[in-house]
Amino acid sequence: MPERVDICIVGSGFGGSIAAYRLAELYRAAGESPSILVLERGRRHQHTDFRQSTDIEHLSAIYGLVQGQGAQIVIGDGVGGGSNFYLAASLRAPRETFERRDRHPDDGPPRRVWPQEISRAALDPYYARAEAALRVQRPTWKQVAKAGGLWAKTLDNAGHTCDRVPLAIDLERCIQARWCHTGCIYGAKNSVITNYLASAERMGVEVRPSSQADLITQSAARPYRYLVAASEIDNDGDDPSRQPTGRESLIECKVLILSAGAMGNAPLLMRSRPGLPSLSSQAGKHLGVNGDHIAAVEYDESKVRDVLGLPGYGQVYKGNHITTMTYDFWRDKPGNAGDGKRFTLQEIYLSPLAHTLYDDGREPAGAPSFFGLQKKEGLSTFNNHIEVLAMVEDTHDGEFLAPPPFGSHVRPNAGPLGVGPFNYELSEQSARVREAADAAIQSVVERSGLARFMKLTFRNVFASHPLGGCRMAESKDEGVVDHRNEVFGYEGLFCIDSSAIPTSLGVNPSLTISAVSERAAALLVDRAADYGLPAKPAGFAPGVPGVFLGPHTTPVRRSSDDAIDAKVRSYA
Amino acid sequence: MGAGHPSVPSQVPDEIAGLLSRRDILKRAGALSLGGLVLSALPAAERILATVPPAEAAVNLADATLQAVADTLIPGRRVQVTDLGHEIHPKAIAGVHHEPGAVEADALLLFHSPLIGFDALEPAFLSELSARSLLRGGQFLDLPFAKRVAVCVDGLDPRNPTVVVWEAAIAVAFTAFIAAATQRNATIDTASGYQVMGYPGTALNGYAEYSYRRKLSKEATSTGSLP
Repeated sequence: MPERVDICIVGSGFGGSIAAYRLAELYRAAGESPSILVLERGRRHQHTDFRQSTDIEHLSAIYGLVQGQGAQIVIGDGVGGGSNFYLAASLRAPRETFERRDRHPDDGPPRRVWPQEISRAALDPYYARAEAALRVQRPTWKQVAKAGGLWAKTLDNAGHTCDRVPLAIDLERCIQARWCHTGCIYGAKNSVITNYLASAERMGVEVRPSSQADLITQSAARPYRYLVAASEIDNDGDDPSRQPTGRESLIECKVLILSAGAMGNAPLLMRSRPGLPSLSSQAGKHLGVNGDHIAAVEYDESKVRDVLGLPGYGQVYKGNHITTMTYDFWRDKPGNAGDGKRFTLQEIYLSPLAHTLYDDGREPAGAPSFFGLQKKEGLSTFNNHIEVLAMVEDTHDGEFLAPPPFGSHVRPNAGPLGVGPFNYELSEQSARVREAADAAIQSVVERSGLARFMKLTFRNVFASHPLGGCRMAESKDEGVVDHRNEVFGYEGLFCIDSSAIPTSLGVNPSLTISAVSERAAALLVDRAADYGLPAKPAGFAPGVPGVFLGPHTTPVRRSSDDAIDAKVRSYA
Repeated sequence: MGAGHPSVPSQVPDEIAGLLSRRDILKRAGALSLGGLVLSALPAAERILATVPPAEAAVNLADATLQAVADTLIPGRRVQVTDLGHEIHPKAIAGVHHEPGAVEADALLLFHSPLIGFDALEPAFLSELSARSLLRGGQFLDLPFAKRVAVCVDGLDPRNPTVVVWEAAIAVAFTAFIAAATQRNATIDTASGYQVMGYPGTALNGYAEYSYRRKLSKEATSTGSLP
């Protein structure tokens, strides 16, 4: 007999956690205990499990790096999904994002890409709800990292504006170590394991780690609609294989919410097509990377001091990962005439490892500049670098091929590297707008001889913001889910997460994924009785999840950087 | 811009790995008139092993060659042991740079990590490396630095059908050096890659002086987000 629950949620990142929390609120308001099960392929992480370390064992425990044809995509692995490792920039997408009419070649007739019901104005209340839950705050200029300040002053020197970026970080608690990317050991970063999901669990939601959904079929036992076959993953112990153990389970539910992310939902649905024969042919198509395009900049420290009046840079390792960005290359291309040409430019600190990706490009030309002596010279100036993330309006150029037998990608060993069944070939527009972003960065940083531009040496796309694959659209011919995130043709089956986002956003995607998920959850709550769930009580109003840090390291703030700065200089 | 690129670690699909079997490498090498050279590389390799003094044999030929590859990708100073105390083959490091390189940062250990999986690619990679090296005048270990570079440029050429294996190799070397991936909670005191980069590493106490603490540009919005 299958295990029965009202609601099964596959995945525990932003989308799954928001759905779990909002539906748990409904059950509590109706005086019932939530019948909600969250399946999560990865293991459970406490803040004390994270490390400020990029050793291969830690990377294997928290990340996946999925290699497809033409792209490499980073995914989070574990309860909390990508929220454990995001850099917490929390921005509302500009209105133009939702009004775009440009699209990938051969992607149907000219039209608005997003469904009519979704606009910036329609999402604003849900953005506000997510901002409250994630405790988003905008840093003051006194809290802007040196690298972010340098980017702001560089833009100012070139006659541009630069804005401070709101963050889902407790800035009082944060000690500015710049180690968000391997999980915050202090709980200062507001990942869903400290708010939405933690609160949902306290309300009675069951989260089941190490459980991977492999196949979906329909159930005939109304009001139950779907059966989910799941396999247990060996994630625990000192030497986990991170492969299925062979132990399987079957879950029957009234409502099934897929929140396995852009890299997870499409392969799962495609594999399940025999049991979901009316699934849109668009499933697996239009995989995007949020227009991510990175580059690095190597500053001349003396010019930074003399031209910009900023002494003592050479400290890329300090402060929050993202603190400033410019919208000038977005604002100057208004309306649909600007579609596909806009981009934003944000100072970002991905990880030192990302510096593998930048072409040193110094003289003499002709010597290899992506390895060898030139590259070594570039690495030795690491402390005078910044990285810039261009978020461009591209055309979601990826497509999943046949899914692997189980899971979202083939993971040949317990390490972080896997092979994904997808192709990613940039369209002409996607390549062109990236070139425009490169030119803009180069123009800004080379003014007054401040710095040297270091281009991404890419044959592949490298991204950590996969979107789409089950995009929302007006009709089944154009997408997989409707504006409520419900799969066309399948009542009670939802994709509530990044997989539903149909375009790149111009900003880091977590807050928009959250807002769209908040909206989908609210509309589901409104119609809960139609699905056999508790009816929404009169006067029901969504609340704000509490903050539950769990075990964590107690931050001890350095009172002066003199000793560490001196040590860094001594090695130089 | 270089002909290839140093992408992040690539795990090779089974079908591609299959293509990289020794037989297929030989077949491809044959098409390039390299078949005979590849075959002759085997006794040459044995000869090299035979000429290595006993004290140098602590690192076997295959590992020494991987160390030499790592040194070509991120060159370093001549040293005898790595950050973690492992031996370095005397011929591995060309000595063209005065600071630590990828070999000193324990790239070989990462090449053999079961969490990376490069061991599955190593025979094919070394076979191709050997063939390409012989075209340049000898075994990779015996080549001067400039010729080692030329071999890697050839391997990393996007037109090389096995470029993905070379990209995996470059990714391993860079990950060892830049990410100190063989050390838990590495710091600038323990990881030579961090020393070269001036990167403190683990920072349990964070930083106090992390901001210029003043407004540095005009802003376009009042909230941080566009309307």
